[in-house]
Amino acid sequence: MLSADEAADLIEAIATRQDRAAFARLFNHFAPRVKAFIVRGGADAEAAQEVAQEALIMVWRKAASFDRTRASATTWLYTIARNKRIDLLRRNNRPAIDTEDWLAVFAPEEEDADKSVLAGQTYTRVKELLSGLSPDQLVVIEKAFFEDKTHTVIAEELKLPLGTVKSRIRLALGRLRDALERDES
Amino acid sequence: MSRHPAPEELLLDYAAGSLPAGPELAVALHVALDPEAQQTVERLGALGGALLEREPATGMGAGLDAALERTLARLDDVPVEPKPAPPRRRHPGFDWAPAPLVPHLRPGMDWRRVMGKFDEIRLDLPGDFHRVSLLRLESGRGLPEHKHSGYEYTVVLQGGYTDETGNYGVGDFAVGPGSVRHEPIADPGEPCIAMIVVEKPIVLTGPWGRWLNPLVSRGLI
Repeated sequence: MLSADEAADLIEAIATRQDRAAFARLFNHFAPRVKAFIVRGGADAEAAQEVAQEALIMVWRKAASFDRTRASATTWLYTIARNKRIDLLRRNNRPAIDTEDWLAVFAPEEEDADKSVLAGQTYTRVKELLSGLSPDQLVVIEKAFFEDKTHTVIAEELKLPLGTVKSRIRLALGRLRDALERDES
Repeated sequence: MSRHPAPEELLLDYAAGSLPAGPELAVALHVALDPEAQQTVERLGALGGALLEREPATGMGAGLDAALERTLARLDDVPVEPKPAPPRRRHPGFDWAPAPLVPHLRPGMDWRRVMGKFDEIRLDLPGDFHRVSLLRLESGRGLPEHKHSGYEYTVVLQGGYTDETGNYGVGDFAVGPGSVRHEPIADPGEPCIAMIVVEKPIVLTGPWGRWLNPLVSRGLI
């Protein structure tokens, strides 16, 4: 296992000295997880493998734009994998939002790093929280993240009224917000 | 905080990467202008990260070492890029454009007067079925009363406007089924500039609508 701090150290080692051993450790930890994540969304194994490898190459290229005071390594990896999935699985269409632009969400010009909810190990808190969500909430959140489906499509698939799906999403996000705000105060 | 934030379920769609290009750009502009929406998207990113971390470490099975070898071999041609400069926020002639819009602006792009009432720049997002436009309304001017069959997403980039549902300023976001007729009027002050993303063709409901709708549906106006 890699702790959040170890993962951040490894990304910084790539940024400062192009450390291939650090890259290998990140690859061994994250590439299988990215692949499993993409497969869960319904992609075939080969496409998922490609997304995982391309995502890790992006980690190498963009290591210097990682800022551990803004985002945990896992969150940063997630955003890269998300964008690679869009780039590769919708490859006929130009992506609307550049990967670089999307990453900029996590490195804005304003220096308010101390306010970032992602600083440090927040994601471990989020991880605990995940197990606290009701199965009803979790299924909607998982479908959104894994299966690349909008809440409208999720409502159709689960044969639920749109309002029910919206309220599950809002309840889940409310819990997320409460938990993180408790951490910050 | 904007008075009219994007609904959270739409921010989830955005964070998870499931929106089509048009609505995705509208939400990106809102997120760029609204710190609270940005914070929500960051939290959702953390949620995505937690879901990723929960995945099994065995996703590549016995092929892991070979995949690592192949990827390491490719790194010879991939430089570690230097820390990027902050994103360029301004574009000549479009100083109101937030960063995510800048890549879509082209030299020579200019406002086109439509029906003598407002100015439009149509954005081309290949592969998307939405109609994506920047609209500019002089103070006190209104859009023709209209409705549409699909969803409409609006984000204000400069100035503001008022319609039956309230007053919208910079960063504010509106989304709704277009079946509701509405007639936005630009607020006093600088011209109102907004990005409007419409799922299906607009239907004009005013007295001239009957004559103009065929042109609208063919994308001529």
